Amino acid sequence: MSVIEVKNLSKTFKSKVKGKGLKGSIKSIFKPKYKTIKAVNKVSFNVEKGEMVAFIGPNGAGKSTTIKMLTGILYPDNGDIKILGLDPRKNRKKLAYEIGTVFGQKEQLWTHLTPYDNFKFFGAIYDMKDYEIEKKIEELKALFELDEFINTPVKSLSLGQRIRCEIACSLINDPKILFLDEPTIGLDPVVKENIRSFIKRMNKECHTTVFLTSHDVGDIEKLCKRVIIINNGTVVLDDTMENLKYHYLNKKIIDAKMKEKINLDDEKGIKILKDKGYNLKIEVDLKEKNISDAIKLLDPDKIIDINISNTPLEEIISDIYKKDK
Amino acid sequence: MKKYLFIFKTEFINSLQYVKSFIVGSLSLILIIYIYLNLWNFLYSDPESLINGYSYTQMIWYILFTETLWSCIKGRKIVRDISTDVKNGNIAYQMNKPYNYINYILSKTFADFTFKLLILLPAAIVLGHILIGNIPNFNLLGCLLAIITGILGTMVNVLICISIGLLSFFMEDAAPIYWIYSKVILVIGTLFPIEFMPEIIQPVLKYSPIFAMNYGPAKLFVDFNYDFLIKVLISQVIYLIVFYIITNLVYKKGVKNINVNGG
Ligand SMILES: Nc1ncnc2c1ncn2[C@@H]1O[C@H](COP(=O)(O)OP(=O)(O)OP(=O)(O)O)[C@@H](O)[C@H]1O
Ligand SMILES: [Mg+2]
Repeated sequence: MSVIEVKNLSKTFKSKVKGKGLKGSIKSIFKPKYKTIKAVNKVSFNVEKGEMVAFIGPNGAGKSTTIKMLTGILYPDNGDIKILGLDPRKNRKKLAYEIGTVFGQKEQLWTHLTPYDNFKFFGAIYDMKDYEIEKKIEELKALFELDEFINTPVKSLSLGQRIRCEIACSLINDPKILFLDEPTIGLDPVVKENIRSFIKRMNKECHTTVFLTSHDVGDIEKLCKRVIIINNGTVVLDDTMENLKYHYLNKKIIDAKMKEKINLDDEKGIKILKDKGYNLKIEVDLKEKNISDAIKLLDPDKIIDINISNTPLEEIISDIYKKDK
Repeated sequence: MKKYLFIFKTEFINSLQYVKSFIVGSLSLILIIYIYLNLWNFLYSDPESLINGYSYTQMIWYILFTETLWSCIKGRKIVRDISTDVKNGNIAYQMNKPYNYINYILSKTFADFTFKLLILLPAAIVLGHILIGNIPNFNLLGCLLAIITGILGTMVNVLICISIGLLSFFMEDAAPIYWIYSKVILVIGTLFPIEFMPEIIQPVLKYSPIFAMNYGPAKLFVDFNYDFLIKVLISQVIYLIVFYIITNLVYKKGVKNINVNGG
């Protein structure tokens, strides 16, 4: 069953362009110039129940804009959205009971209240009974290890603590779908890892569908089985993580330490990445040259140490970003 | 309803931490009253005479009442907070939560108002007794009913402030509009009863929100009678409904073309 159905979704922003200096400012009062940006352009995809999907793309690709439209924060110009069968434009309030949202860059908690009061407040707005709220708070407190600061006003929390509370709070109503826009931005590796395992556990135990954007390849690789890549407002790839790696993994990196200096030049299928005499790093394009031929070029007798590795996912992704510029 | 009660309760508890700064801030009320005491003392050369139907004691109690209500509501802050919410797109992030923004602001403002009124109103009544003596024609029930209309009138004021704040959806800056509004209300109804205004505009004023907001309740406070009470209540119910509908319409129209900041 598809829980998210998006068809030909589009959004254009119009923003005022101001000329330089005083003259420009005055001019723009009388004759404002507008620049239009197609932030999201005919985006279509479906997400099944229980899936964890990474929605990625370079800065300004249109990820946040898409999430905002899916969650009823922005009105789309065109296209259809069905979240759990509901249209966020028409059934925003009804949908609100079913979904959770976290924006890493925007606090949704009331910063002058403590996390505990925030949980109580959000529990109340979702029409939960008092004992249900208390039970849920206990659960979330344990899951996100909030004990230490659950009674400290949110404004005095560190970024990592706050984001843990934000995610915890977005789960108070047992959402069926969780939308996360850069949930791990600015967090240290340990907290990142924690949050990933929380999300994973939640997906496993509650079958919550997760729709996530991130610039952190770790988030994507560790959490998601499926990737949608958006660039300049259009979807350029929608595939499983496995396929992404498989199709784009036609390159290998060879890192070798040699007994003697050898002379090697770029040739078909071989690219020298680093040549420091005894230390060599070359990239082999497997479509052009197979790996054993590449090793032969190095003269196997002279190798002290060799390491053959795949292209990191990060590079695969940035290659896709660049290709579609 | 429960959610708004919760907001009310939480904000009420929250405002307790500002009790000291509020008390210090409201010392200015004493100064204001003192100034008007002297001003009216000068105008009422004979303390027994009536000006536009108000005795000296009534006049001072009138101002004391309107000023007290006025000091318990920070209209400028309501407008500024809403403008900020609109300008930085926060208001949109509240849209996908199942509560009504207008009701949220109302509950929040009323928590703050209730807290302040509980401190300031008794203080003002004591102050009045010290400065000018008993409330004219005092009757406890009338006095309480007048206070209730004062609270309803404040609700009309808050709804108007909310609509002004929401105008930020359509214009760069709503603050000047609030400035004009607050000055009009200050002069008409707060410092001077409607009877002090030019005769031609008096009928208009008597059907305006000012009648429901401050003039009506304050007049009841210094000169209570049931006929007038009914009139005040009717106009308050009408204006509460009208402005509640207006604020919600402005909100609905505004969020449709809101520009949420990128991110
Ligand atoms: N309120 C707005 N007014 C005008 N243009 C906007 C607005 N919000 C976003 N944009 C533009 O729309 C495009 C997409 O923005 P969006 O925030 O969706 O990007 P993103 O993919 O989330 O990027 P990032 O990774 O940097 O967060 C950008 O070019 C941005 O400048
Ligand atoms: Mg973004």
